[in-house]
Amino acid sequence: MSRYLLRRLGSAVITLWLLATIVFVVVSVLPSNVGRQILGPFAPQEQVDALNHRLGFDRPIIIQYLQSMRRVFTLNFGESYTSGAPVNDVIFPALWRSGKLALLAFIMTIPVSILAGIIAARRQDKLSDRAIVNLGLATSSIPEFVSAAVLLSIFCVHWKLGKAFANPPDGATIVQQLQYLWVPALAMAITYFGYLARMTRAGVISAQHSDYARTATMKGMSSSQVMRRHIMRNALAPTITVISVQIGYLFGGIIGVERVFNYSGLGSTMLIAVGKRDIPVLQGAVLLVGIIYMFSTLAADLLIAALNPRVRLEVSK
Amino acid sequence: MTEKLDQLRNSVGPLQQDVIDGLASGSLNRRSFLVRGSVVGLSAAFMGSVLAACGSDDTSAPATTAGGSGDTSGATETTAGATETTAAAGGIKEGGNLRIAAQRPGSELDPISMDNLGSYTPVVTAFEYLCGPGEGAALAPMLATEWTPNDDGSEWTFKLREGVTWHSGGAFTSADVVATMDRLSVEGGKLAAYLAPGSTTAADDFTVTMKLNTPDGQFPYNVCHWNPQTVITPADYVAGTTLDKRPDGTGAFKLDSYDAATTAKFSRNDAYWGGKPKLESLEFIFSDDIATQVTGLQSGAADVIVQLSVIGGEAILNNPEQFTVTAIRGAAHRQLWMNVREGTFTDVNVRTAIALAFDRQALVDTALGGKGDVGNDHPIAPVYEFFDAGLAQRERDVEQAKSLLDAAGKAGLAITMHVPKLQEIPQLAELMQSQLKDIGMDVTLNVESTDTFYDRWCKVYDSKTEPAGCDGGEEFGIVDYGNRGVPDVYLVKAYATGEWNSAHYLSADFNTAVKDYQAALTLDDRKEPVSRIQKIANTDVPYVIPYFYNGLFATAANVTGVVATGLGHYYCDKAGFTA
Repeated sequence: MSRYLLRRLGSAVITLWLLATIVFVVVSVLPSNVGRQILGPFAPQEQVDALNHRLGFDRPIIIQYLQSMRRVFTLNFGESYTSGAPVNDVIFPALWRSGKLALLAFIMTIPVSILAGIIAARRQDKLSDRAIVNLGLATSSIPEFVSAAVLLSIFCVHWKLGKAFANPPDGATIVQQLQYLWVPALAMAITYFGYLARMTRAGVISAQHSDYARTATMKGMSSSQVMRRHIMRNALAPTITVISVQIGYLFGGIIGVERVFNYSGLGSTMLIAVGKRDIPVLQGAVLLVGIIYMFSTLAADLLIAALNPRVRLEVSK
Repeated sequence: MTEKLDQLRNSVGPLQQDVIDGLASGSLNRRSFLVRGSVVGLSAAFMGSVLAACGSDDTSAPATTAGGSGDTSGATETTAGATETTAAAGGIKEGGNLRIAAQRPGSELDPISMDNLGSYTPVVTAFEYLCGPGEGAALAPMLATEWTPNDDGSEWTFKLREGVTWHSGGAFTSADVVATMDRLSVEGGKLAAYLAPGSTTAADDFTVTMKLNTPDGQFPYNVCHWNPQTVITPADYVAGTTLDKRPDGTGAFKLDSYDAATTAKFSRNDAYWGGKPKLESLEFIFSDDIATQVTGLQSGAADVIVQLSVIGGEAILNNPEQFTVTAIRGAAHRQLWMNVREGTFTDVNVRTAIALAFDRQALVDTALGGKGDVGNDHPIAPVYEFFDAGLAQRERDVEQAKSLLDAAGKAGLAITMHVPKLQEIPQLAELMQSQLKDIGMDVTLNVESTDTFYDRWCKVYDSKTEPAGCDGGEEFGIVDYGNRGVPDVYLVKAYATGEWNSAHYLSADFNTAVKDYQAALTLDDRKEPVSRIQKIANTDVPYVIPYFYNGLFATAANVTGVVATGLGHYYCDKAGFTA
């Protein structure tokens, strides 16, 4: 197992390096004068040149690349071009905010969608199955920002049960934070409900028809025992994989929901950084999302191994 | 002229006498008198006496604290400048946290180099100016209690307010003003055109004199809220210091915390020179678009929003029971620029044809819901006292426009119009696109975020290559200009060779007219060059100016006393929640 872990961590470092290199190449080919970008169109050229020199943008590209790699592997991304603040002071609070929202969305969506998927599988082709499948298709086909806007109008503007600006105030208690976050989290949960429920349903149906499930049933185990001990352990593997991928997406990709609720998560931070060509912030945020992707998929693989003895055996080899 | 008026007149200098004469002769109405009088340093009490001596029925003096006044029942209108929501019957409650949905800062909170409304807001809440907003376009004492020009307007003396303390402790004195003015006077500084370093001197702890590069009868407009970077900072607040790194100021509220991504929080300054504010705290909640701010106000997540657009703001405008909307009539406008130096628009016939394509009243009615004044392709707004209404208004003439395009060999011209995604501008662009189609033009719109748009507008300012000006931008597009008490910024920066001259316009006649206007010390003297300015700009058409729009800001119905200028200022020292 430890060898497997080491192998995965080594692979993660290589992936990170590749990601950082891609970001560097993309940023380097953009036609942009960083000094001019920071100081504005009316700054004297001498000041622009001096700033470019201070930031190292007048050095050979290979030196810039090595400096960039050092920033990545020391997790010190320098200062934001627009605010002048250390990049870590920008991206880590944003990561924390995204994490809270993503966690709440998962708490809302995972149990409900897995339960719905199991019910649908157990009642395959019956009314409840059709209802869950169609509801899931409908909700997952609505873009997040649309469901966010609708929920905002209903719960925040009309009924005033939620907050239109979702950033909780400093020092807010957990309950107060929930008051701010539940509507945007619900918007995300609605979108992922259908996807996760259908994945679970497919997994359960497939496992239900497997030899081991049939054998367990013929051995005289009750259907709930078969479900718990044999079907679920196998059926949840694809769902867990999907969830792990969605974690990375939820941290960095829920820009639509963040915009609708004026929430300052990692997605909004990246969007603003792209608009302002704030390269250090963009680089830091992208790499952070990359790291989250890697750790969430690693955690998912380990969880699947823990649930499924066959996978555990392969991992231990 | 009465004996009393004579006495008053003889007690002041020539520039101030000119304003009194304007009132006596009828060339200035009461409102204009109060505005002009405040600029040349006539005190409120003095102007009240002059009005009484002239037999005015209304001798009430203008506002003398940070804040003007305006009528605000429902969606109402005030003229050319700051406006405030008026106190409701029943008074203001003590305490409370006022939440203002504001534009997200686009740069560091450096008082000297800040360049966007979002950054202005926290800075100008903490720091103050020598002169502040008065009634309409009038100025009111802020950190200066009075100001006086010498006979030819080349030297201005400011008496400073005593007993003002910095948030960090220590007394505000003339040393702070001298240091601030010197920082702003260096090459490239916001006051470099008016002052040289060392030309501001302190006679004592509370008197400073500024010797101008050239005489200017309206100089106080340059050290007030209309020139946001001229906030007075402590003497040792060197260039590059930012408010969040070193919180300080003399304003009614002190900065407690700042996060560029989310909020800026201020608590009240109990030692404020204007009296302890009613509100306990202020919170600026940052966002990027008007729709979010409108939703915030509707849902109760914000108490105040500014820069409301008619398009997108209907939910607020149509709900006068819950929200108070105030319209600030002023000089804010949109410019459709055309590069006159090279490319498609070098022929004035092409530019004139485009100007003739527009039904301006339809643009005002559709894009602004009627809340604006029709423009006539020059930047002198009708609210300015020296506006020349005699210049014929350019009307839509499709046939003439087509024939001009034909004559220029540009029939069926296809071109891309670059516009920022800002307020009603995308809708204005669509309307213009439609009207230009009627004269045979095929206009493609490129609407983009304000984050990148300004590179299209005026990419780089090149001061070394003659003629100096902005360079590298696109040849055709719409840009926004905020409200100003005087049109100097528009005239110098957009038209005369200047850093915002996206049309690359260069006219010796125009520049002479601008110089004549700036050198004129009295209102009467300004009228003639301003008339020339209007005519030249209208004839040369480097820019189409379709309208001057009213700035709109909205508050929840239970909020009162907020003074907004449309330039990022929210003065809340007298604001609060109604009881």
